[in-house]
Amino acid sequence: MRLGHLHLDPTMTDFAAEPHPPRVLRRMTRARRFRRQLVPYLYLLPAVACFVIWIYEPLAQAFVLSFQQWNLLPTAPKTWVGLDNYRNIFDLPKFWQALGNTWYYLVGLLPLAVLLPLVIALFTQDLPPRSRNLYRALIFVPMIVPPVVAAAVWRWLLDPSHGILNLGLQGLGTKPIGFLSDPDLALWTITFITGWKLIGFATLILSAANAAIDESLVEAARLDGASNWEIIRDIRLPLLSPTLMLLILMVVLLGAQWSFSYIHVLTEGGPLGSTTNIYYLLWQFGFGSLSVGWSSASAVILFVGFGLLAAALFALKAKVTFHDD
Amino acid sequence: MKTTLLAVAVALSATAALAQSMPAEVTEPVTITFYNYNLASAGNGADATRKMIAEFEAAHPNIHVEGVPVQPQDIATRLQADIVAGQSVDLVQMPFAALGFAAENLGAVALEDIVPAEELAGHFEGMVPNGLELGRLNGKTYGLAYTFSTPVLFYNADLFRKAGLDPDQPPATWAELKEAALKIKASTDALPLATGIYGPTALDWLMQGVINSNGGAVINADRTEMTFASPEAIEAIAMLRDLAQEGITENLSITAQMEGMAAGNTAMYLQTSAIQGYLVKGATGNFELRAAAMPAFGDKPVKPSNSGSALSLHSTDPVKQRAAWELMKYLTSERGYTIITSEIGYLPLRPSIVNDPEYLGEWVKAHPLVQPNLAQLEKLAPYVPLPGPNYLQIGISMMDAMEMATFGNDDDVAGILTEAQERTQRLMP
Repeated sequence: MRLGHLHLDPTMTDFAAEPHPPRVLRRMTRARRFRRQLVPYLYLLPAVACFVIWIYEPLAQAFVLSFQQWNLLPTAPKTWVGLDNYRNIFDLPKFWQALGNTWYYLVGLLPLAVLLPLVIALFTQDLPPRSRNLYRALIFVPMIVPPVVAAAVWRWLLDPSHGILNLGLQGLGTKPIGFLSDPDLALWTITFITGWKLIGFATLILSAANAAIDESLVEAARLDGASNWEIIRDIRLPLLSPTLMLLILMVVLLGAQWSFSYIHVLTEGGPLGSTTNIYYLLWQFGFGSLSVGWSSASAVILFVGFGLLAAALFALKAKVTFHDD
Repeated sequence: MKTTLLAVAVALSATAALAQSMPAEVTEPVTITFYNYNLASAGNGADATRKMIAEFEAAHPNIHVEGVPVQPQDIATRLQADIVAGQSVDLVQMPFAALGFAAENLGAVALEDIVPAEELAGHFEGMVPNGLELGRLNGKTYGLAYTFSTPVLFYNADLFRKAGLDPDQPPATWAELKEAALKIKASTDALPLATGIYGPTALDWLMQGVINSNGGAVINADRTEMTFASPEAIEAIAMLRDLAQEGITENLSITAQMEGMAAGNTAMYLQTSAIQGYLVKGATGNFELRAAAMPAFGDKPVKPSNSGSALSLHSTDPVKQRAAWELMKYLTSERGYTIITSEIGYLPLRPSIVNDPEYLGEWVKAHPLVQPNLAQLEKLAPYVPLPGPNYLQIGISMMDAMEMATFGNDDDVAGILTEAQERTQRLMP
């Protein structure tokens, strides 16, 4: 047997042990490194693009438009007017009235949209499941009714001559009340309707947060002889405080916005400007009187004002809320 | 840069289309759009408009008309949105206040540019010259007066009799009106007076008539100065405030007022004659509805303002222009005005049909309601549109101040109006 042809090439056996030529290795890792660094940004890109297209770019454009005069027609020119728009709206008594009304809306919504749902959530937690679900469903129904439909129904209920509320009052012997036509009452009427619509939503959130409280804490307190009120005050309320602060934040920052449909259907800002708020006025400037510059200027003022309010509320939230860790 | 390019493109395409003249007849099937605010209202002419469209389509089988209901205060924004979206905008019921805007910015076509002169003259013959004039800008007709009305004092004859008043002698002056209203307040529980002066859809059309009738004006003749804090205007608003303070009139929404009058719960309603059809429907079998002219201030002559709309043509395609022009002719023909007057309540702008038995002759005899409206046609003081790009905001600010002066808690009418006049003057161009 001749083993000559089985002679192994020494370079082949050592091939696997030798490293790759240095040049090729560096090129591949640089490209791969770059791609690896790029991948997270690619994942972020759709979300960031949405933010930029739908929030930041219009915000910037609104800021620029607040210094221009334009009537919404694409064929009409946008003229630069500097601070004139701001001067004009500060000049308008209706603007200050709207700002004041916005404040009343926010303050007026808190009892209905935060306090009452808290009470309902606490009182319905111990009911047998069937009746608890029934109550919660009933309370949630106003939330699902479309706002315009709800407003139309309320208009009929509150009508001074034919609405059942006034017919009832007349039965008791008092004169009919113009809930929506009396400048002193109209704002509170609309605040009530906005709050009524929100009760279900707030109750749901607070009920869920309440159910998440560790029952062992409550049992321990009961063993120590705590009364119901003491349990609520010392255990449930502190542990609900994150949710409560969140609700307060939402109502304060978004409450006036939620009232838009009801104002538009029921009073259009009247009577005598008593129900208008900064959001409604902003819309009226833009689409009612086609003054986009005024609308954008009000929007910028609103942004700055509510931004400061939000910052203050977030600071408060960090200080006040209690977490069960 | 983008907007100037766009404006140039729109202008070029418009002139390019006008360079081709429109055909004498419509020979192939074509669809045109008709933007209309009567169609958008529940009580103000929707049925009558549909009837006219149906009659027109029966007479012109090649033309199909698509009615587009739009609220009058939304017409400008709706039109520009549809034009930009490339929708076909053909015929529009354009409120007079917005006609200038339509000619400059929305592509309204001057009739003299597309219709042969003889055909145009032939159609204009017989129309009220005042009406034709209102649609003319820079010597060309951009709008053909279509629905036209003046403010009329509708009143409930039954309530008058109940209060001991003679329904054949309606109040002719504001002082007489106050006396009658106080009597009505004392002996019935009806609301004595409702007016269409205030409200989001009204702007200042009726207010101009009220102030003009007292010898004042809302704005001066060359539209450079607001004059609504002049002594005559202050006097007029103070008169309205007095009526409100006495409980004779209340600040109700237009829906509530119309419903109240139609149900027989209001004694007098000063409003556009256009709601006549709606009120007649409510009054039939319920109460006796009558109409009188707008009240005067003492001996001064009444100067009612007009409300209403013109038809403006926006098509760029020659075939659609012919179709739209045919519809325009039909709507402003003797037959068209017969329906408009008898079924809606606007004025017939061809006076010849009033006594013609084939058209309105019989109807006018049976419905004396239209007479005060017709008589006021002679005394019209045309509505003066507010100037400049901020015209809507000027109007709204002015009306807000006047509403506050009439129904608010502050008695200082002169102070409120003067402050508002200075403020709105700053918004003038």
